[in-house]
Amino acid sequence: MSVLHDFFTVFLQPQLFLLVGLGTFAGVYVGAIPGLSVTMAVSILISFTFSWDVYPAISLMIGIYMGGVYGGSRTAILLNIPGAPSAIATAMDGYPMAKRGEAGTAIGVTTVMSFFGGLVGIAVLALAAPFVSDFALKFQPRDYMLLAVLGILLVGSLSSGSLIKGIFSGALGIGIGAVGMDPLTFTQRFTFDIPLLTQGISFIAVMIGMFGVSEALLQLHNIDLPAVRQKIDKIVPSFGTVKKHLPLSLQTSTIGVLIGALPGTGGDIAALMAYDHAKRVTKNPERKFGEGAIEGLVAPETANNAAVGGAFIPMMTLGIPGDAVTAIMIGALFIHGLNPGPMLMIDQPHMFWFIVGALVTANFFMLLFGLTGIKLFTKIVEIPRAFLIPLIMLLSIVGAYAVNNSITDVYWMLGFGVFGYFMRHYGYPLGPVILGVILSRLLDDNWRRAIISEREDLGRFFGGIFSSPLSTVLLITVVLIFVSQTPLWTKAKARLFKKEATE
Amino acid sequence: MKRFAFGAVSALVLAATGALAADYPAKEIQGIIQWGAGGSTDTVMRSVTPHAEEVLGGTVVMQNMTGGVGAIALNHVANQDADGYSLLMGAENPLLYKVMGLGEKDYTDFTPINLLARGTPVLVANPDAPFDDYAGLMKHIAENPGEVRFGATGPGGLPSVITAMIETVEGDLDVISVPYDGDGPALTALQGGAIDVMPAVLGAAIEGIRAGNMKVLAIIDNAKNEKLPEAPIVTDFNAAYDGFLPWGPFFGVFVKNGTPDDVVAKLSDAYAQAATNADFVELMDNRGFTMMNISGAEAQDFLTKWQQNTTWLLQDAGLTKASPEDFGIARPAK
Repeated sequence: MSVLHDFFTVFLQPQLFLLVGLGTFAGVYVGAIPGLSVTMAVSILISFTFSWDVYPAISLMIGIYMGGVYGGSRTAILLNIPGAPSAIATAMDGYPMAKRGEAGTAIGVTTVMSFFGGLVGIAVLALAAPFVSDFALKFQPRDYMLLAVLGILLVGSLSSGSLIKGIFSGALGIGIGAVGMDPLTFTQRFTFDIPLLTQGISFIAVMIGMFGVSEALLQLHNIDLPAVRQKIDKIVPSFGTVKKHLPLSLQTSTIGVLIGALPGTGGDIAALMAYDHAKRVTKNPERKFGEGAIEGLVAPETANNAAVGGAFIPMMTLGIPGDAVTAIMIGALFIHGLNPGPMLMIDQPHMFWFIVGALVTANFFMLLFGLTGIKLFTKIVEIPRAFLIPLIMLLSIVGAYAVNNSITDVYWMLGFGVFGYFMRHYGYPLGPVILGVILSRLLDDNWRRAIISEREDLGRFFGGIFSSPLSTVLLITVVLIFVSQTPLWTKAKARLFKKEATE
Repeated sequence: MKRFAFGAVSALVLAATGALAADYPAKEIQGIIQWGAGGSTDTVMRSVTPHAEEVLGGTVVMQNMTGGVGAIALNHVANQDADGYSLLMGAENPLLYKVMGLGEKDYTDFTPINLLARGTPVLVANPDAPFDDYAGLMKHIAENPGEVRFGATGPGGLPSVITAMIETVEGDLDVISVPYDGDGPALTALQGGAIDVMPAVLGAAIEGIRAGNMKVLAIIDNAKNEKLPEAPIVTDFNAAYDGFLPWGPFFGVFVKNGTPDDVVAKLSDAYAQAATNADFVELMDNRGFTMMNISGAEAQDFLTKWQQNTTWLLQDAGLTKASPEDFGIARPAK
């Protein structure tokens, strides 16, 4: 019974309940502004809540985390500027919906699906945390590398139009990610002795520039067009819509939990992988992907919110952070006199159930704040462009500066914005660039770790892959997905089916 | 004209704040943390500083500035005015920048406010590893050359110093060194079996050891550790380590050289009092850190010796990019 008591701590103490609510509310807005990240908000809160008790401090942080992950979708849908990297995939179908005047519907679906994904993540955390963390620990450098290769293959589904241009964009992203001091050997790469480059190029600055500034520049072309009127009568999706997408959202939530639980990968990769998955399994979408498919919203939003519960799994069971935010929370627990680690769940089980309870509460608050205030938000899109464009520029500059309090990042952001504008102009997709930057280090570091571990011997490397069931499955998946994207496969499939038909 | 007047007034204000150190702190103090949020340096600084704020009667706004093994943060503070309004909150790494070719500035450009605590290195292994202590590890390496995987965190990191120490004492080790970007990720990899052995700071490994997720091969110290009284110390296996020990990473707060003496004194006093706060002491003890709480000449002396010992150890192991001699770092007296 003590489990139930700990679980309901948040509900029984009005103060904690309100703090979770306050945190979630703030999180939704912090998350919506590109550059203001949950990680930043939570680390500021550590100093701010230093003298508090541990429960109120954690309540506030969990609220911000949950709200923030969801909040990134707002600006992605309304302005085509993802508020956070995990909302990149959301922009791909969310923004086209807003352009058709369906921003309200898009936000409604996003909210309900984020809520659903969040619940799945929390349920897995509550019921199966030790199993999932054991599984996550099994991932070796070579498995992370294969996962990154799997991610690179998403280029295909992120680029509408020319695949070659998509591959070019992806490669550019990987190149951008490699600039700076190599974290494993401290060697300078692509820095040409320019001090500015030694810190590397801030990935958030690239994202804000490519999406935000290039969008603003592009909109200058039709500055005189009247803004799209938004229909906001049907915000909450019907039960039928939710039911229809239930199987897909369960699958994508599972992807979210697992990717979130892996130390080293987080909601951003989870959301992109889920989007790719949705594109693969949805046979007949009502609308094409990239033009406002509901499935294109359901998948990334369930996945990135499910990743929150996932990220808590290694944190609670092993004291290992699942992502940047949980890393800071581990520090917070430590400052508040707890010893986060494998013994936490044994010594202080009430902490575990309290956190689960707080997450559930935050999830409900997210649903509440997500579904209210939509009318006000959708008004943003109806602002005349002459006002909207300067607003986007301002938001982009503030966001890029806020990441590291560095003016250099603002220059990068503006530079990539102009570059992104020309890329769009010539039909180069921007999604793969961001994908490349996200995956660059995952791929690079883990490939090197994997091959160094095998004494730089390729034979031993493949021997290692085939001796582990996990690596073998990952390799087979990589090969299958790759082959299925080549013309060879389409031909073979056509011939195969023809034969069947004639027989 | 207006602009000139404004400039003149602000110059006056600046001069006035500089002159009246008795009013210090007259505005917010910036605390630049060299490492990322949630790491050891970050948690130590965020838990001691609020106590120092109480003594100072001012606010210290802390900010993480990562990159370049902490060099970005160090250079940032070095470029601010020496007025005591920018604190550098860092760890031991800058003392190795010069010899590792990571930067031209180090703590000799700074005045220590307080060296808070130091950590004890420990050699841990995956619980399934076929050896149970330091001697077993050495035997296993000799019998299986090129098979044992050691975790590393890049040149100049704690594992590289410990590995250099082992090689100086035992001769070259035929092991594979797998680089990770921090001891946290490396210890995760250790528990998953991707690496076999990891030299880490006790504070990062202690909870894993308590839970039995990793085992201690030896504590790299010449005295028993009260956190792990059962664990063997490395000098029990080979007395030749004694000359290098105790050695460990440390955490400190610094200001740029040239900061007015009374400001330094005020800050030193605040942090010295903060470091005796019962909550903070307990926190550090739980994490296996040894309190130092030293400042002034004592701290300066500690830094000089630490730099001499470590840079020459790395130099003799052939891990440096430039000799300590080039920077006037004297070889420590044996």
